[in-house]
Amino acid sequence: MTAAHGAAPAAVAALLMVAVYLTAARRLRHRGDAWPQARDASFAAGGIALAAAIAVPPPAAPFTGHMAQHLVAGMVAPLLLVLARPLTLALRVLRPGRVRRALLVVAHSRYAVWVTFPPAAALFDVGGLWLLYRTPLFAATHHLAWLHVVVHLHVLAAGTLLAFAVCALDPPRRRWSLRWRAGALLAAGAAHAVLAKTLYAAPPPGTTFATADLRAGAQLMYYGGDLVELALAVTLAVQWYAATGRALAADRRRNSVTRAVRG
Amino acid sequence: MAPTDPAAEPRAHRSMAAAALIGAAVMAAIDEIVFHQLLGWHHFYDRSTPAVGLLSDGLLHTAELLALVAGFVMWADLRRRRALAAGHAWAGLFLGMGGFQLFDGLVDHKVLRVHQIRYGVDLLPYDLVWNGAALLLVAVGAALALRARRGARRAERKGARRAERKDARRAERKDAR
Repeated sequence: MTAAHGAAPAAVAALLMVAVYLTAARRLRHRGDAWPQARDASFAAGGIALAAAIAVPPPAAPFTGHMAQHLVAGMVAPLLLVLARPLTLALRVLRPGRVRRALLVVAHSRYAVWVTFPPAAALFDVGGLWLLYRTPLFAATHHLAWLHVVVHLHVLAAGTLLAFAVCALDPPRRRWSLRWRAGALLAAGAAHAVLAKTLYAAPPPGTTFATADLRAGAQLMYYGGDLVELALAVTLAVQWYAATGRALAADRRRNSVTRAVRG
Repeated sequence: MAPTDPAAEPRAHRSMAAAALIGAAVMAAIDEIVFHQLLGWHHFYDRSTPAVGLLSDGLLHTAELLALVAGFVMWADLRRRRALAAGHAWAGLFLGMGGFQLFDGLVDHKVLRVHQIRYGVDLLPYDLVWNGAALLLVAVGAALALRARRGARRAERKGARRAERKDARRAERKDAR
């Protein structure tokens, strides 16, 4: 993303989004609701990272720099934003009315159920990346400014969708099981790793990059992807640990009640 | 699988599986750090890798990451339930490490030809040492597993005998009354 095509307004929009979140969280706490500070920090970090990826030209060779921006805009920032549960916050802070109702209609629509079906989200995200880097699409984004913007919006939106679907932190109409979510994470991670390795060997069709640049960019994609996948996996693991912990505690309570009754 | 607390039974198979996941992932990490990054022997991609090798490499690489996390969270869960069978866990760790090393040495390097251990050298001694080390780890794991199983059986028998004696004493007391 060069600093040309509307980068400044986009970066400002990302920072505004952070301001809205922080204001909403403060209002919630003011009302007496609990809302962990960690979520504010996560959302702020995500928004600032996104704004930086949009506005700051990376100090690296062209392909590596592009990959660094993609990594932040498509994987790191989406995860940080999703971990802050923005939908939950919006539903809690909005007063009953047209906006809240509309948000609920969209969030609980049948369409949303299928879009957040983890394998579908994985396909949108990594399938889009394969289209970008393995067809002349990537070369075309260098000539058409609007296509450049559309591609980056897709990378951000699809990355956010995948993180949203895998983490399933905000209340969905249907919560897909851990198997579906972990399976989609595995498939998406594998497709991402394979794509990175093919980029190491050959640039996207219609482009030429210095070999060292191409290889550094591909390795950044591979190992950078690993870090975000690890973070997603840890999120799933923590959810599982907490859920089995609740079941265990309930079981212990039941056991102690039966013992007390018997004894 | 109702958790029976506080006298939790050690769960042998689950302990072994959790540690095996960690072992495989640790070996994969050693492979990545030592042979890819530090020594620079393995190539990130040696261009002769067939498509199926590339696909299996991507799947395996991501699976290792998930295995590391899954193994640790299973281990933490067993600890929380006081159901970790330590002997079986050690056996699982070695089996996982050796199993991964053997799979990497035979399937990845030889069958799928993802990459070789080192380039521009006679590969035979490298392959022998690599797979020999893998077999050694598997053998240690198998021996530990046998020992753990024997230990668990002994403990079971001891427990049963103790329960028997307890029952007998109780019966005696009843008779005396």
